Amino acid sequence: MPASDRIIINLGTGSGVINWANFISQCFNGLVTGALLALISSGLTIIYGTLGVLNLAHGAMFMLGGYAGWVTYTYTDSFLAAVVAGSLFVMLVGVVMERLVIRHFYTRPHEDQLLVTFGLGIVFVETVRFFFGSLSQTVPPPGPLVGITDLGFMIYPTYRLALLGIVAVALLTLYFVLYRTRIGMIVRAGIEDSVMVDSLGINVYKVFMLVFGIGAMAAGFAGIVNAPVVSIAPDVGEAILVQTFVVVVIGGVGSFPGAVIGGLIAGEIISITTMFNPAYSQIMLFVAMTLVLVLRPHGLLGQAGRE
Amino acid sequence: MSRNLKSGWTRREALRASAGFAGAAMLPVMPTVVWADDKPAIGTWPAGSEGDTVNVAAAVPLTGSYAVQGADELKGWELAVEHINTGHELMKAIAPKVDKGLLGKQVKLLSADSAAKPNNAVQSEQTFINDNKIVMMTGSTSSAVAVALNKFAQREKILYLAGISGSNDTTGKDCVRYGFRQNFFGQTAAAAIGPVLLKQFGKGKKAAFMTPDYTYGHTVTKSVNDYLTANGGWEMVTNQVSPLGTQDYSQYLTNIANSGAEFLINVNWGRDAVLSTQQAKQFGLLPKMTLVIPYQIPFLAKEVGPDITEGVFAATDFWWTQEDQYPLAKQFVEAFQAKYGYRPEWGAENSYVSFAHWARMVSEAGSFYPPDVIKQYEKGETIPSLLGDVHYRPEDHQCIRPVVIVRGKAKKDMKNDEDFWEVLEVVPGEGLMQKPDEFGCQLGDYT
Amino acid sequence: MQIKRPYLVELFTALALLLAPFVLPHLGFSPSTINRILIWGLFGLGFDILFGYTGLLSFGQSAFYGTGGMFAAYLLTEAGFPYVMLSIVIGAVVAGVVGYLVGLIALKRTGIYFAMITVAIAEVFFFAEFNPLSAYTGGENGLPGVPTPVFNLGFTVLKFDTDWTMYTFLAFWYFVGIVIALRIVRSPVGAILSAIRDNPLRASALGHNIHGYKLTAFVVAAIYAGFAGGLLATMQGFMPPDAFMFDTSGQLVMQTAIGGAGTLFGPLIGATVWLYLSDFFQNVLHLGPTWKLVLGIVFVLLVVFLRRGIVGAIDDLYRMARSDRKNTAEPVAASSEAKAAAVEAMPARRRDGAQTSGPILQATGLTKRYGGLAANSDIDFSVDHGEMRGIIGPNGAGKSTFFKMLTCEVEPSAGKIVFEGRDITGMGVTDVCQLGLTKSYQINQLFDRLTVRRNLMIAALGETRGKFKLDLFKSIRSVPGLEDQVERTAALVNLTARLDTPVSELAYGEKRRLEIGLALATSPSLLLLDEPLAGMSPSERVETVALLKSIARGRTMIIIDHDMDSLFELVGKVTVLQEGRVLVEGTPAEIKTNAKVQEAYLGGVHGEVA
Repeated sequence: MPASDRIIINLGTGSGVINWANFISQCFNGLVTGALLALISSGLTIIYGTLGVLNLAHGAMFMLGGYAGWVTYTYTDSFLAAVVAGSLFVMLVGVVMERLVIRHFYTRPHEDQLLVTFGLGIVFVETVRFFFGSLSQTVPPPGPLVGITDLGFMIYPTYRLALLGIVAVALLTLYFVLYRTRIGMIVRAGIEDSVMVDSLGINVYKVFMLVFGIGAMAAGFAGIVNAPVVSIAPDVGEAILVQTFVVVVIGGVGSFPGAVIGGLIAGEIISITTMFNPAYSQIMLFVAMTLVLVLRPHGLLGQAGRE
Repeated sequence: MSRNLKSGWTRREALRASAGFAGAAMLPVMPTVVWADDKPAIGTWPAGSEGDTVNVAAAVPLTGSYAVQGADELKGWELAVEHINTGHELMKAIAPKVDKGLLGKQVKLLSADSAAKPNNAVQSEQTFINDNKIVMMTGSTSSAVAVALNKFAQREKILYLAGISGSNDTTGKDCVRYGFRQNFFGQTAAAAIGPVLLKQFGKGKKAAFMTPDYTYGHTVTKSVNDYLTANGGWEMVTNQVSPLGTQDYSQYLTNIANSGAEFLINVNWGRDAVLSTQQAKQFGLLPKMTLVIPYQIPFLAKEVGPDITEGVFAATDFWWTQEDQYPLAKQFVEAFQAKYGYRPEWGAENSYVSFAHWARMVSEAGSFYPPDVIKQYEKGETIPSLLGDVHYRPEDHQCIRPVVIVRGKAKKDMKNDEDFWEVLEVVPGEGLMQKPDEFGCQLGDYT
Repeated sequence: MQIKRPYLVELFTALALLLAPFVLPHLGFSPSTINRILIWGLFGLGFDILFGYTGLLSFGQSAFYGTGGMFAAYLLTEAGFPYVMLSIVIGAVVAGVVGYLVGLIALKRTGIYFAMITVAIAEVFFFAEFNPLSAYTGGENGLPGVPTPVFNLGFTVLKFDTDWTMYTFLAFWYFVGIVIALRIVRSPVGAILSAIRDNPLRASALGHNIHGYKLTAFVVAAIYAGFAGGLLATMQGFMPPDAFMFDTSGQLVMQTAIGGAGTLFGPLIGATVWLYLSDFFQNVLHLGPTWKLVLGIVFVLLVVFLRRGIVGAIDDLYRMARSDRKNTAEPVAASSEAKAAAVEAMPARRRDGAQTSGPILQATGLTKRYGGLAANSDIDFSVDHGEMRGIIGPNGAGKSTFFKMLTCEVEPSAGKIVFEGRDITGMGVTDVCQLGLTKSYQINQLFDRLTVRRNLMIAALGETRGKFKLDLFKSIRSVPGLEDQVERTAALVNLTARLDTPVSELAYGEKRRLEIGLALATSPSLLLLDEPLAGMSPSERVETVALLKSIARGRTMIIIDHDMDSLFELVGKVTVLQEGRVLVEGTPAEIKTNAKVQEAYLGGVHGEVA
C-alpha cells in the first residue's frame, strides 16, 4: 500500500490556538497543573531522598487517596471529611507497607525495590477494581467552589482556582514540617547522611516509617483534592506516576525544592506546548527531561550520589 | 505427542493433499487423510466442529481505559450464547434455524482480557485457536484491535466479528474476507448526525473538535468535519488532539475556550470521553457550547450524569427506549435487564446482534465450514435485527443498518434513572454508506 | 558457569528445546504460548547481558524491540521486500544502530537517571511510531500481513507456517541466541561487564574503558531486542504497535526478575511463568478481570522471597548442596604460612624506550582546592625508578587526595604530573593505569559478587588487552598468559587456596591482600598503596610487609601508612605531609629524629610516632 494513502487518513496532529490571550491562559493553567504535580512529586522525592527507595506504587497511592475520599464522601457528604479520610488512609497504607514490605528491602538492590513497589502498585489498582469496578466515580467540589470564575483574562473553574491555593498550603505545610520541626531536621539530615542520623542514636526505622507515611500522605491528599477535577478510576494513578517521575528527575532526585520547581516547569511545558500543537504536549515533557539530564547530571537541584 | 501437535501436522498434510492447493504443497509426501475434495481442512475446520460443543472466543478489555465497555460487550455475547443454547425466542426470531444449539452443537464462549491492546488480543485469540479450536472469534472496543484481529482472522482462516469499532478502516482499507462488522462507524455516524445538526442549527457555525490521537479518532473527525464543511459551510476552528489515556484536559480546553467555537465535537472515547466531557463542563464550555458526540460511548451518561448530557447530540447504534417501537429490542432489553440488573447499551446490543447474525448464517449454511458461512453472509439477504431489517454488504462485509440520533434529556424529564437519551431520529443505513470501494476495501481470499 | 565442561549448557539447552514440544503441551502450554516464550526469552538474553551482567537497568528496551520489528515488517509488507530472514536481520542491525545512538546519550548518566532517560527515549519512540511515522508504521494499527519465513534449499522448500514449524524456526534462533550470549558472557568482555556491575569505579581504575563496554552491552541488548521484534512480527503475521509501549519494557523487566537476572535463562523462565499463569488464571480459573490482581500478588511474593529469581534460587540450592558436601570433606585450610617469598612477582610493565633510571614520577606545584578549602597546596614531589617511598602525615594531611591526583582520579586545581617522561595531568584514571600507574585503595574496592580468580583476571585483562577491545566471542581462557598471571598473583598474595571463593566470603585480611593483588595484577611500573596495612593484625602485617618487599623488585612503589615501624622498615625515603604541604623529606632515620615531624605529630591530633 503506498504510504500516501495513510497520510491522507491521518489528519495530522491537530491544531493549536496561537494568540496572546491563549498564551496567558495557558501559562496560568500550567501553574495549576504544575502545582498538583509538584505536590505528588514532593511525596515521591522525600521518600526517595530519605529512604533511598523509589516508590513505583506512588501512583497507586494517589489513586487510593481518591477512592478512600470518595467512599467517605458517599457516607458523610462532606468534602472536608473526604480529604481528611483520604489522606489519613493513605498514610496508614504507607506506614503498613513500609513496616511489612519496604523495610526488608533497604539492604537489597535498587532494582528489587523498584520491582516490589511496582508489583504492589498493581495489587492496589486491581484490588480497587475488584471492589469498585472500572466505572469512573465523581466527588463533587464543596458547594461554594462549584462553577466558574472570571479572572479577567480568562474564565476558570472555581474549584481549580481553589486547588491552586489548597496545594500551595499543602506544600507550605510540608515545607514547614521539613524545615522547621525536629522531625524535619532528622529527615533532612537523613537525606544528607543516613549513617550520621543512625549514629546520633535516633531510631532511623521509626523515622523511615514516618517519612514513608508522610510521602504517601502527600500522594493520597493530592488524590482526593484532585478527584473533583479528574474523576477517579482504578487506572488514574498510572499516567500520573510517569509524569511524577519526570518531575522528580527534572528537579533532581531527592530534592524537595527541586520537586516543586520541576512540577511547575512540567506544568508549563505541557500547557504551552498544547497551545502550539496539542499532540506534542506529553512528548515535550520527555524531551525536556532528557535535555535537563544531558546538561545537568543530577537534575536542576539534585546532589551527586543520590541516584 | 499432544493433540495440538498432531492436528498441526494434519492440517498441513490435508492441505497439500488437496488438488486445489498446489501452491502450498511443498512438503515431502506422506499418507494423509483427505476430508472431502471440495472442503479441505481450513483454519480450525473441521477439528473445531467435530465434538458436541463448538467454542467461540472474545478478547475484550477488562482492565485499562476501556474496561467498562469491554465488560458490557462481554455480557452481550454471554446472553447471545445462552439464547443460542436454549433456543430463546428472540434468538429464533433472528436466526430461525437455531434450535437449542447450533447445528446440534452447544456453543461455548471463552474470553480473555485484551487490555485494549492489539498484541494481547492477537495473543489470546491465538491461544484459543490452538487450545480450544475456536470456530469464531470476536472482541474489540477500539479499531486498532479490530484491524489487528481482522488481519489475524484472514491469516488463520477463522471468522471474526468486530466488537465496537468506529474506524472507517475496519470495513474499509483494512477489510478482510473473514471479518464482519455489525455496528455503525465514523462515516455513517457523520452522515447521520450531520443533517440533524444542520437542520437544528443552520449553516456557517464554528466547531472545535476533540480528537483522540489514533486512527479511529482521526477518521471520525475527518468524516464529520468533511460533512459539515461541505454541506453546511461549518468551520473547524481548532482540533485538539490528545493521547489515549489523558487525565487532565485543561490545556486542550483552554485552547478551545480561546478559539471562539460555538460547538464542541468530542470524538474521545471510553474514559477519555468521560474526563474530557466532565472537564469541559468545569471550564464552563458546557452548556455555553453545544456538545456533539458523533460516536456515542456506552455508559457515558451514567458516568458523567444528566447535568452534562442534557441537550447533547449523539449518534449511536441503539438506545434502549427504542423498545417501544421495536418488539425485538423490547425482548432484548428485558432479557438483558433480567440477567444483569441494568438496561443494555449499544456495546452489548452489537455483541448480541452480531452473534445472532452469525448463528443465522451458520444455521442457514448448514455448516461451520468458513467459506460456506462467508458466502451465506455475502448473499446479502435481508435479515432481522433489533432495529428492523438489515443486510450485510458483500463488497466490504459491513452491515447496512440504521444509525440512531439521540439527544440528552434533562434530569427532570427522565422517567427512570437510565432514561438519559431521547431518540430524535432513526436514519436508515442505506443512504449513509460510502460507495463500497471508496475506502479501498479488498476482501482477499476465501481459503 | 560450567568451567569444566564448556559446552554442557549449550547441550542441555539444545536438548530442552528438542524435548519442549513433547513435554510442555501436556503441562497445558499451547504451541503459540511456547513460541511467545521463546521470543521473550531471546529478547531477554540481550536484556540480561545489559541488566544482569552489566547492572544497567533499562526501561527502554521496547524502543529497540519495536524498531527492529517495525523495520523488518515495513520491508516485508509496505516495501514488498521478499526475504523474511534478511529483513529480520536488517531490522536487528537497525535496532543496533539506534541502540548505539541512544546509548551515547543515555549512558552519560547512571542509576535512576539512566533508567529515566531510557523511559523517556522509549516514550519518544512510541510517539514517533504513533504519530509522525504512522505513514510507515501503520500508527495504532501496526503492520499486518507480515509473511512467514520460507527457505528454498534447492532440493526442498522449508516453510514455517504452522505453530510447530514456527517453533522449530524460533527454537533454532533461540539456540543461536543463547550460544552467542554464552560466548559473550564467557569472553573477556563478559568478565569486564560483570566488573562494571559490581564496581564501575574500580573497573575503570584497572584500565578498562567502561563507557565503551557499557555501550557495547547496550548495543548487544538492542540487537537482541530488534531481532526478537522481527521474530514476533513474522510469528504472528502482524507487527503490533504495543511493542513500543512502556508495558513491553515493564513486562520484560518483571519476567527477568521472576526468572532471575544474570543467569541468561532467567528471562525465558520468567516468561514461561508469566505467560503460563496469565493463561491459567484467565482460561482455566476464569478469574475475569481479577486475573491481574492474583498475578500481581504472585509477583510481589516472588520478589519478596526469591531474591535472585527462580533460576537464582535453583542455583543457590545447588550451591548449598555442594558446599555442604565440600565443608564436610575438606575444611578450609587456614594457612597462615607466608609463602609469598617463594613466588616471583610479575615483572613490571616495560614500554619500549622507557628510561629505567632517573625520576619515574614528578609532580610540580600540585594543588587541589575543594571550594575554598585547599586539600593540597603547591606540592613538589619526585620519585626515582626502583624507589620505595613512604608518605606519612597526620590525619587530614591530604595524603589520600594527593594519591588521587597522582592516579588521575581527581583533577588537580593547579600543577603538573609527569609520569615516565609524559605529562599525565588531566588524563583519566583508565589511561594512567594503561601506562602502568595504579593504586590499591584504602577502602577495599573489589568485585564482591565474583570469585577471587575473576577479580584477578579482570585486573590482569587491563594489561593484556588494552583499555578497549571487542573480543566478544573469544573465550577468556584462551587469553595468552592470563591464567599464569592470575595464579602467580594469587600465590604472591597468598590466596591460591581461595581462588574460586566469592569475594563476599573472604575474611577481612584476605580482602586486603586481594586489594593489593588487584593492583599488582595490572603489572604496574609504579604502584601506589594507600594504607595497605590498615586494619591488619600484627601477624598479618608481618606477612604483608614481606609481600611488599617481594613485589618491590624492579618496581617503583609509594606507600601511605600509619604503621611507621613497618613503613620505615620497607622504604628508603619518606615524605611527610602536613596540612596539604610537604613538611619534610628524608630517610627513615632522618625523619625519626626530625624536630618538625615530632612537633607535627605530637602537636597534632594523633601521636602516632612510635
